[in-house]
Amino acid sequence: MFADKIGMCLAIPGKIIKIKNQLAIVDFQGMKKEINISLISAKIGDYVMVHAGFAIEKMDKDNAKEIKAYLKNEV
Amino acid sequence: MDENKTIELEMGAGGKKSEELISNIRKVLSVKGKWKNTKDDGAVFDLGRDAINCVSTKQNNLVFTTDAFIIDPLFFSGGDIGKIAICGTINDLSVMGARPIGLSLSIVIEEGFPESDLRKIIQSIQEISKKENVPIVTGDTKVTEKGKIDKIEITTSGVGIAKKIISNDGAKVGDVIIASGDLGEHAVALLSKRFNYQTKIKSDCQSLTREIQSVEKFLTSAKDPTRGGTAAVLNEMSEKSKTKFILEEKTLPFKKETVAISELLGIDVFSFPSEGRFMATVSKNNSQKVIKILQKYNAGAKIIGEVEKGNGVWLKTKIGSIKKIEVPRGKLIPRIC
Amino acid sequence: MKYKKILKNIQEKAKIIRRPIRLMELCGTHSETIAKYGIKNILPKNIKMISGPGCPVCVADQSDVDIITGLALSGIPIACYGDSANIPGNLGSLENARQQGAEIYIVYDISEALKISKKNPDLIFWGIGFETTAPMTAWGIQNGLKVFSSHKIFPPAMRALLRNNKIKIDGFINPGHVSVIIGAEIYKKFKIPQVVAGFSATDVIKAIDMLLDQITKKEKKVENEYARLVQKEGNKKAQKLISKVFEAKNARWRGLGEIKNSGLKIKKKYKNQDAEFIHRELIAKIKKNIKNKPSVCHCGEVLQGIIEPKNCPLFRKVCTPDNPQGACMVSREGSCNVEYRYG
Repeated sequence: MFADKIGMCLAIPGKIIKIKNQLAIVDFQGMKKEINISLISAKIGDYVMVHAGFAIEKMDKDNAKEIKAYLKNEV
Repeated sequence: MDENKTIELEMGAGGKKSEELISNIRKVLSVKGKWKNTKDDGAVFDLGRDAINCVSTKQNNLVFTTDAFIIDPLFFSGGDIGKIAICGTINDLSVMGARPIGLSLSIVIEEGFPESDLRKIIQSIQEISKKENVPIVTGDTKVTEKGKIDKIEITTSGVGIAKKIISNDGAKVGDVIIASGDLGEHAVALLSKRFNYQTKIKSDCQSLTREIQSVEKFLTSAKDPTRGGTAAVLNEMSEKSKTKFILEEKTLPFKKETVAISELLGIDVFSFPSEGRFMATVSKNNSQKVIKILQKYNAGAKIIGEVEKGNGVWLKTKIGSIKKIEVPRGKLIPRIC
Repeated sequence: MKYKKILKNIQEKAKIIRRPIRLMELCGTHSETIAKYGIKNILPKNIKMISGPGCPVCVADQSDVDIITGLALSGIPIACYGDSANIPGNLGSLENARQQGAEIYIVYDISEALKISKKNPDLIFWGIGFETTAPMTAWGIQNGLKVFSSHKIFPPAMRALLRNNKIKIDGFINPGHVSVIIGAEIYKKFKIPQVVAGFSATDVIKAIDMLLDQITKKEKKVENEYARLVQKEGNKKAQKLISKVFEAKNARWRGLGEIKNSGLKIKKKYKNQDAEFIHRELIAKIKKNIKNKPSVCHCGEVLQGIIEPKNCPLFRKVCTPDNPQGACMVSREGSCNVEYRYG
């Protein structure tokens, strides 16, 4: 039994490093996990926000710099 | 103990409920003999007084400890249940300032357990035993019917000799708080395996004997942050020494992967156990010396806070506020050590 | 430091406003951020943060908890997300049912439930959560999973809060991930200062500053602090998936009562995967036998921001995370649980 994040929202985005059909390997700060990407259109290199095993949106590309700074300072 | 109550999983997870369970058990066990138990992980017997002939009179404390291991998964990056069973007991002796002189090993195995896995586990035990020159001097092995236990359970006990006991209650106002390296990586290794994350982080599981011996004369208190993690251990040290611990969020020794999996799984990073790290307090004057020595073993050793007048463990957050770090409560991480 | 500057702005605006301001963070994860970084401690005295109903476990209706526990105790295998197993009901929680021998699987994502259901075709997944988890449940249903739906949608709850005269709120911090799915535009219909925010400490204090800015200027608009992720229109693919599988129904929220069109019911097309249909007789029987135990838990008032957790007579005394009396203490993002851990 675990303290779980059921509806809980993650604060950290992950980076897509591999895609195979509807599934992608997403890297969260060095923790990699298979994630379902059927709810978005994404490509390798995109930063995505994940909720309960699914990518729910990709980060705005114009904000890539902001996202990296965010990962460095906030996480 | 209430007649109708049953034991819950959380009572074994190292938080508040574990404390209550243990204290209920201790209440019943009244015979104390001549053993001292300061609620450290081991009990102390003063040989100087009662068994002078056993050992050299210079070293006059016998330290005795025991621990049961039911981890899941049995094999993980950086170790297995065998390694952890030996290191855990060696470390419980080491953090009290004792030289381990011998261990016992009891194994309960579930029918159907692969012999090759057992061989691997025994081999890891042998490796540490040889490397640390701590013999396994006695043991017991039992097999139960399928389904009666989950795969394998290992219990180790150990005895050691200490000139001076390092307790977990000696922190003084003005001391600094030291972590012997990055924390929580044992939890990261187990959780990532359980929840299918890939990472290069390995369990920090290792024997601490040499590290501690190299700095023990400087330590005012020490304890290894196993079950219940940093939060449980620092609270214990602060409470017993009647002082206040202040940590600085910016300097906390958690790797980015450790923080990430704590976020991803929603488990407080302060409750993550380590199996090859210790936390200690030392006087400010000695702190740089101690850090320098410890960094030879682990580059991540650093000062993470200060001891002040007052009580509780407090964190200065990066936005400038102060909040309390409590003993973990509620759902924790079961079967991790 | 970025924080310092924003905090200074907040101080200045609070001085100008002078009167007490009550801001509600609607999402439980925002409550967690506020607690984790001690944000309440550094806000000016006249700025008060109140937790709203944005924790799915907390607003789960008692009768849903009783039905799912009843099903489990009748021998039906249940899969659910972690915290939902601990919500106490009249028959206990799913966790209690597990201790009595019921087959309960805790899963982290829906594909795990799907895997279990391949070997265990009677398995029912308990779908719980807002627009953020409803698309995943819909995906599971499309792939053959059987589901008991307690899913809820968020905007109707905001309307209900605004209609309640007992609740005085000067502004909302709107949920982050719910907004990822439904978009930021949809909130325009509510005439109150609102900021959609992300989950870092900076995101939250920025959102507070933006709300105070609107209040000083007497504006009532929706701003998007989380534009790096939240689009105006939201995630269309996810919205489509929800509407393919679910339709709106009236639903009961703990604390808020019944709210029109605030729940998600599985469409007829998928009735053979809808636990409410498959087990309708059993559910009727469970409902008939339920005797509501009286409770002094003030969860309902806490969820609406009428009282704070510490004003509940059970808080910290009888009710702790080890021994939760109500749903707000069960979930890590429940306001009582958060207050307990960080308060």
